[in-house]
Amino acid sequence: MSLLKPFSKLPGLNTANILLVESEEQFQQSLADALVEETSVTVNVRLAKSLPLPMENDESRPRIDLVVFIINLTSELSFQSAEASLKYLDPGYFLGKVCFMVTNARNASSPAERLDAVRKLASSLHCPLLFAEDQTPDGVASATERLLTILKVAAGLVPIATALYVSNLTRCTLPLDIDLPSFD
Amino acid sequence: MDNTAKRLLQRLVRRIPSQMLKTTLDKWSRLTAAQRQSMDYTESKWALTEKLLAICEENELTVKHIAELEMIRKSSEVTYYYHILYDAHSVELTQFKEQFKSHLSELIRHVSIKIKKHTDEAVWIRIAWGDTFSRPNHLKPTYVVHYLQTPYVFLTSPTSKQKPLLSQALVLSTRYQAIKDANLSGRKLTAIRDLLMKQYLQVFPTKFPSPLAERNCVVSNLHIEKEQAGSAANRHQMACEAFGDGILPQLQSAVYKLETKFRDHTNKTMTERDEPFKCVVKFASTNLLESLRHSASSGVASTPVTPLLSSVPLKGKNYFVITDNGPGPSSQMKPSQK
Repeated sequence: MSLLKPFSKLPGLNTANILLVESEEQFQQSLADALVEETSVTVNVRLAKSLPLPMENDESRPRIDLVVFIINLTSELSFQSAEASLKYLDPGYFLGKVCFMVTNARNASSPAERLDAVRKLASSLHCPLLFAEDQTPDGVASATERLLTILKVAAGLVPIATALYVSNLTRCTLPLDIDLPSFD
Repeated sequence: MDNTAKRLLQRLVRRIPSQMLKTTLDKWSRLTAAQRQSMDYTESKWALTEKLLAICEENELTVKHIAELEMIRKSSEVTYYYHILYDAHSVELTQFKEQFKSHLSELIRHVSIKIKKHTDEAVWIRIAWGDTFSRPNHLKPTYVVHYLQTPYVFLTSPTSKQKPLLSQALVLSTRYQAIKDANLSGRKLTAIRDLLMKQYLQVFPTKFPSPLAERNCVVSNLHIEKEQAGSAANRHQMACEAFGDGILPQLQSAVYKLETKFRDHTNKTMTERDEPFKCVVKFASTNLLESLRHSASSGVASTPVTPLLSSVPLKGKNYFVITDNGPGPSSQMKPSQK
């Protein structure tokens, strides 16, 4: 099985590499354009629709510091594709190098059960869960900022902080009443 | 001017959007220059209608003339159905006009026919139907569009009584053997015509789609890289092969009538029934072909594109009846005869 491994390659100098996985391939493009504009660090962005990644790119691919799964809450396909891609990641990634980003959480057509399912998934894997708004440039900018904060830590560019340490603080936790029906 | 003419004119003016009114009236050329100048297009529609009625009274225009105006304003609010003619002999325009008028008048009395040839080789026929006892009803006309050198005829809103008469008149006047409903309908005449005559960018299967990769590099940023660009390009190529490239003709719906056996392992009661499970699946969209192409190239519909979807542009139909076909490959497609 072609697992993506976190520490099998050497890191680059002052470089951070991020992999955005999104089944719909829309938000990842605007996020990528905003991410590469960061000046203090060289950010390389890899875009994918799902895992596993093609073997032909194995040689040229740099060491991936952070894997972000972008899930559109209005689409069941999006959630299932992200879930299916998880098994192609080496377990070493789940020590602070994986993050879930969710869009359209406020949309009326996204069922609450799907958000609960994503929450349960993220908390069982000890990963942070970020909410993003993808339609406006402001939304994209704020999502980019939050991703960059986590990315810099995951790439080892922030002194004293490591990915595992930060993930203990940022990981998704389930509210105690998640299994009770909500009143909307 | 009699009542029918007045009502027709009022309805027409109401339906034409204000911006188009001036150009349409100019094209009509039944008003003199002075009359055209006196129309003030900034007034309300009601005032314009009154003005126009007065002018038409002055010119003593009849229903026939108003019908011309309607023809100029091709109505895009109706659905066009398209029919195929078989076994042609080529027919010339004036001959066709005379024959059609005489045949239809023989079949049904009191029918008002108006034939006009447009610059793009299309013959437009406007028919107002009446019967032995009543005058032709100009408020519910049928339009027929025929491209003379092709076997295609497009009709709007035919009723079951008028269709056989119309078909017979058409067959006789064009000297074809038969006419058949070809299961394609849509709201835009230009769209279904373009679909049939394949007037959109076709993409042909090729082993090496992009030979000059060095020249065609469209890299947005060196730091951004797509991992699965190869398979994305493959899907896009297959989607374009099935549906075409660029701007596609606007179809509004595709209807599949299924008469196949129910197949679902989790539902034993339905699967055990012998008779086929009848259901109708309808895809509707503002631009159906564009949505189908996008669903194939983004991976929602699996590629290579299933023949169920790719037959829409390939065969030029959007009504299919699907039946099981014995022990052989199930769910083959059979065109239905309506």
